[in-house]
Amino acid sequence: MASITINGTKVKVKNGTTILNAAASIGIKIPTLCFIEEINEIGFCRICVVEVEGEQDLVSSCNTPIKSGMVIETDSKKVIKSRENTLQLLAANHRFDCWRCPKDGSCEFYDILKEYDILFEEFGPGIARKDDLIYGTGISQDLSKCILCKRCVAVCNNVVTAKVLKFRDDDGMNPFVSPTVGLEFDQTGCIFCGQCVKVCPTGTLFETDHIQMVEDMLKDENKTVVVQIAPSIQASIGEEFGFDVGTSTVGKLYNSLRLLGFNEFTDTSLGEDLVILEESVELKNRIEEGKTLPLFTSSCPSAVRYAELYQPEYLENISTSKSPHILQGAVIKNYYAPKYLNKKPSEVFVVSVMPCTAKKYEISRPELEVDGVRDVDAVLTVRELAKMIKRKGINFKKLSDDLPGSNLIEFSKATNESKSCLNETESILGAYSNLIDKKDLETIKYKVTYGDTVKLSEGIIKEATVIIGSKKLNIAIVHGGAAMKEMYHRLNNGKKIYHFIEFMGCPGGCLNGGGMPIEVDLPMHEVIKRRTIAMYVQNNEELPLRKPHENEAVLKTYEEFLKSPFSEEMLKYCHTHFTRKEYRNE
Amino acid sequence: MTTESFEVNKLFEKWIQDGNTKLDEKDLVIQLKSYLESQHPEICGKCTPCRDGVVKIEKLLDKYVDGTATLKTLTELEELTYNLRSSRCSVGLDIGKNMEVILENNYNVLYQPVKKY
Repeated sequence: MASITINGTKVKVKNGTTILNAAASIGIKIPTLCFIEEINEIGFCRICVVEVEGEQDLVSSCNTPIKSGMVIETDSKKVIKSRENTLQLLAANHRFDCWRCPKDGSCEFYDILKEYDILFEEFGPGIARKDDLIYGTGISQDLSKCILCKRCVAVCNNVVTAKVLKFRDDDGMNPFVSPTVGLEFDQTGCIFCGQCVKVCPTGTLFETDHIQMVEDMLKDENKTVVVQIAPSIQASIGEEFGFDVGTSTVGKLYNSLRLLGFNEFTDTSLGEDLVILEESVELKNRIEEGKTLPLFTSSCPSAVRYAELYQPEYLENISTSKSPHILQGAVIKNYYAPKYLNKKPSEVFVVSVMPCTAKKYEISRPELEVDGVRDVDAVLTVRELAKMIKRKGINFKKLSDDLPGSNLIEFSKATNESKSCLNETESILGAYSNLIDKKDLETIKYKVTYGDTVKLSEGIIKEATVIIGSKKLNIAIVHGGAAMKEMYHRLNNGKKIYHFIEFMGCPGGCLNGGGMPIEVDLPMHEVIKRRTIAMYVQNNEELPLRKPHENEAVLKTYEEFLKSPFSEEMLKYCHTHFTRKEYRNE
Repeated sequence: MTTESFEVNKLFEKWIQDGNTKLDEKDLVIQLKSYLESQHPEICGKCTPCRDGVVKIEKLLDKYVDGTATLKTLTELEELTYNLRSSRCSVGLDIGKNMEVILENNYNVLYQPVKKY
């Protein structure tokens, strides 16, 4: 323990704490810009400077550990003046077109400028350091807004381990952050998980815009616009409209979709159920025929792209079924639309609302189409959907909580109440167990072998052994880029034989996806926890696991359209293939 | 180290040792600019006060060369100089300390052209 004085208050804190944390412990918030706890503690932005008695210069509080007897001033005249000057310098190299900025209200840089009431004297705001726009199918980068905080670099390096975004400084005075110079994101090793978009304090990194396309289609009389919602959206969309983190607003969400003018709306549960059935059959086939194991899930496009780019020798392992929303898009276009709406597949425009930026990339994959019709035409993130709702002038808070009826909801609704599809692995194994033993799966006890159960936001590997049909199956759940790297390392070592692995690109899974609302005040693992609870408001935790083989919507789809798992139709509409992809990371 | 920067260092020795060294405005501004330019290769471009501050100081000095400097220019110059005290490493800190010495010893040289009455 060390005793220090902060702004005249005597505090006792543990040795080794930073000044920032020590100040936070007595309720003083020092402003930060480049700081992310344990990921980016580099002290580059110099916003968090404080005055320490006896030191000539100002020190950054985020990475200076306290010493016994320190006397710290966090808001002396010198400190405030320095912060103001630094902010002026940063703002002089930032293009301010806030009204059309993709960050839209959650810009930390804007907030801090406002807090310090920055005036410009000699240098007005709005001269961009560099005005390149780097395009990518999932995420894009607008260099004119970059303030060089290096948060995205740290996250890309440590959390995702893709090392795409780098700090580049050729001639000393014109530094910038970008993927490989001269290339678009798609040509680099980017997996489009969108974690960098979430940490960017300005609107430099943003999801590639699909709003324009969707709004045009909504006005088009000849198109039937169908929207499908990922289950995690209902737990997070409220945050964009001032609800607390972890408020489920499913009724309001569907009502707002109706008001936005979508012809049909539903969630992706039918697609999920079909994927679960398909993958369980695939697992059974592979185990019986002794084909390549372990089986990897293919729901997360980030994880798939990760394998395609960095681990091409494992492409055989990935389940060939399409991801849920793509599969459901194919089913809606080729089965639901002709049969129930009397429309040709090409007259239907399918929009998915996803917590994910990688899904935007996924729909651009050339193989995801049937007879020349794309399975899904546009993907909106939660933030984009919220922006559309605001733009349309819909008062989200005042909307009714009742679920509006719709033919498509009736058509695709799961008939048996069950947990929402957060537990993909358990659902697939449950379905597999039903295939083999005709009984339900017991609760799986996981052992965490990498990462921390509390700090979900750093990635995690959970392993378990389940016995199904007198056969022991080693399964693993891998969330986050660093964990994926570790898992592939373990697979290469070959010490343990796995049968089934669930890969997710984002640490913490889809609830921490790159398209989710940005929460600055709460630590990420807390946000994930609250959103998980919100998911179970609608789907009580006591509820049984999904049983897709008992779901009448699924059975009907099979009966009328897809015949059986791995039938000819299934292979045509619901399966895809993966190819090795070239990349340049320099 | 280039001869150019070596000359600058000598200049500083003179300034620091002998506070009374008088330079006229044009000389001072040009010498200062050449000093700051000589520091460019050292700047890593990571922390804000040094990366952006030095460039801005040079632009302010350009105003003196153009003859468009006002009192605001001098205030801003001072503020940016003192702000270099919050730099991350000693490259920025040193530039700041040297600049402070210059401002203290030659304040009137920079003040004369901008004073209002």
